Amino acid sequence: MSRRAAICAVAQTSYERDKWYLRQQGMGMEVVEQLIKATGLDFSEDRGIKQMVTVSDDLFDGRTISDSAMTDVVGAHYRCEEKVSQDGAQAVYYALSIILSGYEDVVMIVGHCKESQPSSRYLVSHMAFDPFFTRPVGLDYLAAAGLQARAYMNQAGVTEAQLADIVVRARRNAADNPKIKDLPAVTAQQVLASPMWADPIRQLMAYPVTDGAVGLIIASEERAHELTDKPVWITGAGNCYDDFFLGDRDLAGTANLQNAAARAYRMAGIKKYGKKAVDLVELSDQYAYQLPMWAEGLGLCGAGEGGAWLARGGPDKMRVNLTGGMLAGNPMMLGGLVRVAEAALQLRGEAGAKQVPGAKRAVAQGVTGPAGQLQTVVVLEN
Amino acid sequence: MAKNRNVGIIGIGQTVHSSHREEVNQPEMIHEAVELALKDAGMTMADVDCIVHGNMELFEMIHQPDMWHVIGDGAVGKPGLRITTGGTTGATLVCAADTLVASGMHDVVMAIGFEKLQEGHTTGGITNMADPLWGRELQTGALTGMTADAMIEEFGEERAKYAAMKHRLIMDQHAMLNPNAHRRFGFVEEMLPAMIANTPPLVGELRIVHMCSQSDGACAMIFASEKVVKKRKAKAAWVKDHVTVHREETFNLFGNVEEITTMRYAAQKLYERNGITDPRKQIDVFEMYDPSSWWGLDWIREFLMLEGDEHLKMVEKGEIGINGKFPINPSGGVVATNPIGATAMVRVAEAAMQIRGTAGAHQVKKPVKLALASGFGGTLWTVLVLLSKKRPKLAEK
Amino acid sequence: MAETKQELIDLRQILEIPQRFATGPVMGRFLRELRDNQRIMANRCPKCGRFQLPPREVCAICRVPVTEFVAVGPEGVIQSYDLVYYASPDPLTGKARQAPYTTVNVLLDGVEGKDTLWHLLNETDPKKIKRGMRVRAVFSETRTGSIHDIKYFEII
Repeated sequence: MSRRAAICAVAQTSYERDKWYLRQQGMGMEVVEQLIKATGLDFSEDRGIKQMVTVSDDLFDGRTISDSAMTDVVGAHYRCEEKVSQDGAQAVYYALSIILSGYEDVVMIVGHCKESQPSSRYLVSHMAFDPFFTRPVGLDYLAAAGLQARAYMNQAGVTEAQLADIVVRARRNAADNPKIKDLPAVTAQQVLASPMWADPIRQLMAYPVTDGAVGLIIASEERAHELTDKPVWITGAGNCYDDFFLGDRDLAGTANLQNAAARAYRMAGIKKYGKKAVDLVELSDQYAYQLPMWAEGLGLCGAGEGGAWLARGGPDKMRVNLTGGMLAGNPMMLGGLVRVAEAALQLRGEAGAKQVPGAKRAVAQGVTGPAGQLQTVVVLEN
Repeated sequence: MAKNRNVGIIGIGQTVHSSHREEVNQPEMIHEAVELALKDAGMTMADVDCIVHGNMELFEMIHQPDMWHVIGDGAVGKPGLRITTGGTTGATLVCAADTLVASGMHDVVMAIGFEKLQEGHTTGGITNMADPLWGRELQTGALTGMTADAMIEEFGEERAKYAAMKHRLIMDQHAMLNPNAHRRFGFVEEMLPAMIANTPPLVGELRIVHMCSQSDGACAMIFASEKVVKKRKAKAAWVKDHVTVHREETFNLFGNVEEITTMRYAAQKLYERNGITDPRKQIDVFEMYDPSSWWGLDWIREFLMLEGDEHLKMVEKGEIGINGKFPINPSGGVVATNPIGATAMVRVAEAAMQIRGTAGAHQVKKPVKLALASGFGGTLWTVLVLLSKKRPKLAEK
Repeated sequence: MAETKQELIDLRQILEIPQRFATGPVMGRFLRELRDNQRIMANRCPKCGRFQLPPREVCAICRVPVTEFVAVGPEGVIQSYDLVYYASPDPLTGKARQAPYTTVNVLLDGVEGKDTLWHLLNETDPKKIKRGMRVRAVFSETRTGSIHDIKYFEII
């Protein structure tokens, strides 16, 4: 009963501040066309795509049942489509289970999000808080991140100057990412001079408002070989929820991410992160402080060692976020799915200027909810 | 493509569904269902590996509600997933839980569907599914009189209206036997002519009494692997198969006749895969998602793949009654109880209760070996789930 | 010990998130033609030939992009209609709609296939409406590139 699942194709639109010229359907169509072209699949009843897993959010889309708008372009007319309304890495976890269950041999994932559509993406995330207590006190995901950032930086010895360097690095790396548009390089001084949004998070330390779409074709072992000569096996997936009220959590700690990573690593047959075991890491740094924080949770360095890890050049040495990460601009809902896509491109040898030669195994991570409340970790191998 | 592992439903919990649950907030309400499901399964939260959660968020306007709800559903420190597919959500969560257990990634998965419709506006929330550029001005939630018009044209006004109201009556008779049901009126046959003549219209011939409830409620179900079922000697309703069928973005119905409804298409596939050639004989009970009496009546023909007026005759003769030849919605159905994010799951839960023999006063008397449950939502999507008392035989590798 | 009944506090709010909906090239063209030329544009699937109204990016049945636009109407035939008595809130404005109102599915002249245009009919007396009646689109004086640029359909 040892079924395996592989990513057979990856597709992304460009990520821009404002894709005013396309609506959701248009973005999705671009992704689907690329996936069909890459694999030669159709939507026939026997060997075509019959199972779609979409990723979108009703509040972001301003539309109840946001996936009903996507039915046509994802080819789901008289087929099965299910919408994961969390970070897209969760869709990878679910798609893996669909293949392993034996129910289907081919799954197409298509996720989209337009952060430019609502007047403020923070107004959307503000609605994640309960109406009686956490919402009236003014929490949204930015404020929650600010609270976490302060607690974490104190504990891990991360400085503001280090955060600025993280942003500079992300933008420099993104210059080699053909999907990232309109992201100017910045200096550390510019980062430190940018307006304070939620202490200690300054504007340039936050991922920019972004629109885009991304998709994958995932198939069972028998189908994978006919769809691609470069299958990327999903060898591990794990996720874990933390508590809701920020005061009930150890905000500076990464227990839930460690839990998720442990599950994913165990499934992939690796004991823990090691530079020999893992060739590159894609993590969802929505805010600069999350680069060292999620690195701790994934085991790239010890708990509380984030600052020291940055100081000794950890991100470059461990090949973290080589194409800019989420800080370079991916919409919420898609960060983790884009991480999986970028990691898959590396393992297919298609990462261009940033290719890690001979890359064999990668770890990708996604976050959903306030201050990383839900963490998802995926392990990929070629 | 064949399922690798068997999955059994071993725990079911439902809140009492009501329009007056002001004494609980969302996580508290969910907690009730979770506790009942655990109790039913003889388990504690420690036995649950993963929680899948869903609803239709624009009713309550909570973004990512599963984040807040961890304080009530036990998901802290555990894996989970959130899937939302409109009205079909509850049934999709059943499929997801089944898939996760069948994959071997988890042994015990709890699925939770809920809605607190009193905290929003049901029809307004559903209207929000329409495209903001062209349909949202026009759609009136799930309300339409077009099916009634089509049936009146096909069968004549008197017969069609009577059959729809008879369907309503039978559903209420069933609801009266279900302590969890939301609306239980106590209708009797003698009232039908007055009801047909006097009930205020909502849209065309769709009248208030025909239309489903707007309920607050939650449902939790525990799905376990065969290994766990055996070890615990649990009474399981086995998930035999499921089919999900979506259709294009528009409603484009009535007057724009589809080649085939998603209901009939789903039924065709499911029956074919499971050797069902005579659904009325081989299936013992059907919990159908009936958003209105008109749809509930019309879709009997679609799900059972009938022609002509067979379905009207079934209703006129009372065959869909709890002691009838082919019981439909012994729970009272959606017209009696509709906490939308939970509703499609409640259909599966009620079907599972029939198999396990735990439906109490609304248990059908005949032995239940195969039960069917449907979910509805979106632009006329269908999710169809088949449960069996006997452990399914898995296909050879 | 007697239990004192707890007063239940509830919180009443109207929540709104302002939106700027993109139209994209396909819907955008449909709306522009309404505004500038008082023309109703459908698009035609290159594979099965069916028309879609409003035009959409793909033909869902054939799963191919649809790029050919064809002007249709402004007259057509009522395929079906709904007489809405229930005044529900409009999520775009937050206000309750004025009822009764009639929504109608019109099969416009020139359309190949069965796709109708969904719009309002300016008649709410059920005795005066019948399937098969001919209707005509009435355009608004001031048009902004919205579906409301067609004010309603009227019975001819």
